Amino acid sequence: MACDVGSIPELDQKKYDSDEQVKIICLGDSAVGKSKLMERFLMDEYRPQQLSTYALTLYKHTATVGNKTVAIDFWDTAGQERFQSMHPSYYHKAHACIMVFDVQRKITYKNLASWYKELREYRPEIPCCVVANKIDADLKVTQRSFSFGKKQGLPFYFVSAADGTNVVKMFREMIKRALDYKQNPSDFMDEVMQELENFDLEKKENNSDEDGLKAQSPELV
Amino acid sequence: MSFEAKRCGVQFTPPSIVLIYEHKETKHVRKRIIPVRNFSKYSDYSMAAERLKNHPRHRDYLEGVSQSQLEKLHIILRNHMQGFSLEHSMASFRLDPDEDLNKLDDDELARKKGQMDELFEKNRKRKDDPDFVYDLEMDFTKTAQENCSWDDESDDGF
Repeated sequence: MACDVGSIPELDQKKYDSDEQVKIICLGDSAVGKSKLMERFLMDEYRPQQLSTYALTLYKHTATVGNKTVAIDFWDTAGQERFQSMHPSYYHKAHACIMVFDVQRKITYKNLASWYKELREYRPEIPCCVVANKIDADLKVTQRSFSFGKKQGLPFYFVSAADGTNVVKMFREMIKRALDYKQNPSDFMDEVMQELENFDLEKKENNSDEDGLKAQSPELV
Repeated sequence: MSFEAKRCGVQFTPPSIVLIYEHKETKHVRKRIIPVRNFSKYSDYSMAAERLKNHPRHRDYLEGVSQSQLEKLHIILRNHMQGFSLEHSMASFRLDPDEDLNKLDDDELARKKGQMDELFEKNRKRKDDPDFVYDLEMDFTKTAQENCSWDDESDDGF
């Protein structure tokens, strides 16, 4: 169980190793508007796939970047954020992270610190951004500067899922960064996982017995 | 529409929705008391609200009352049946910017989200609005200057 982080039977997370498959996760408190942002970006394409057992919602999106078509899975929490922590499989193989807070509720901003901390435990290097949502409620907030993430150099976006301000821009830039990261991963753990998987495959080809050393989802193999 | 809803509220005994409305032609202001039937502390408030909104005898009067307001009134009635005070019900609708919504159960969270949705819907630009722009961009980098008081306390990571 301990190393079985990728195990969601409905979801073979191994697909995220392929060049055309991207995984982007959303983090943030309840009711900051994560799903509303997805809905605004995807518009007619918006077809959430609920995996209620895992308190998880997936949104599939196809994007063309340069001359390449990529399939993007956006992972959104469906109540799991209430445990103030996400299951490791949520972070597993993610290529980028969108952190959202509600400009009307300070606590959602303050909680970014713990979300960010947890993210970095699992994914030390993936691109991440900070999104200030609901600016339509009071445009004056855009005159303020929010310093969370500045130290870490995280891009910051003022957005509104209601009127659409900067939503598409933010998603497009994050997709781009996720792809850049994928082509040039700097997470040491990624490479270790890759090595373990290769090793595992070699072992199988040599049809020796194969205890342990499986990086993920043994039951799917 | 020949009736204009002015105010809408509840009456606990017997459980009823009270509507003050104006008859558009005669300009008379009247009160209509709609008993809420088959509704207990275990009932689904949103179904009950929908049923009332579409009720053949009441729907013309309730045309100007939103589904969400009717839901709210049913919640107040149900809370009362469960022994909660009116004050408690009102507080559960209020949005407290300092409240940690992560700590609420599904039902309570749905209520808060319902409150937030009112503003969302008000400010929402839909695809068929004439001034809708899918990729609406605004640059705030020039305006953002003033430091945010939310950053005052020197927490870790801030």
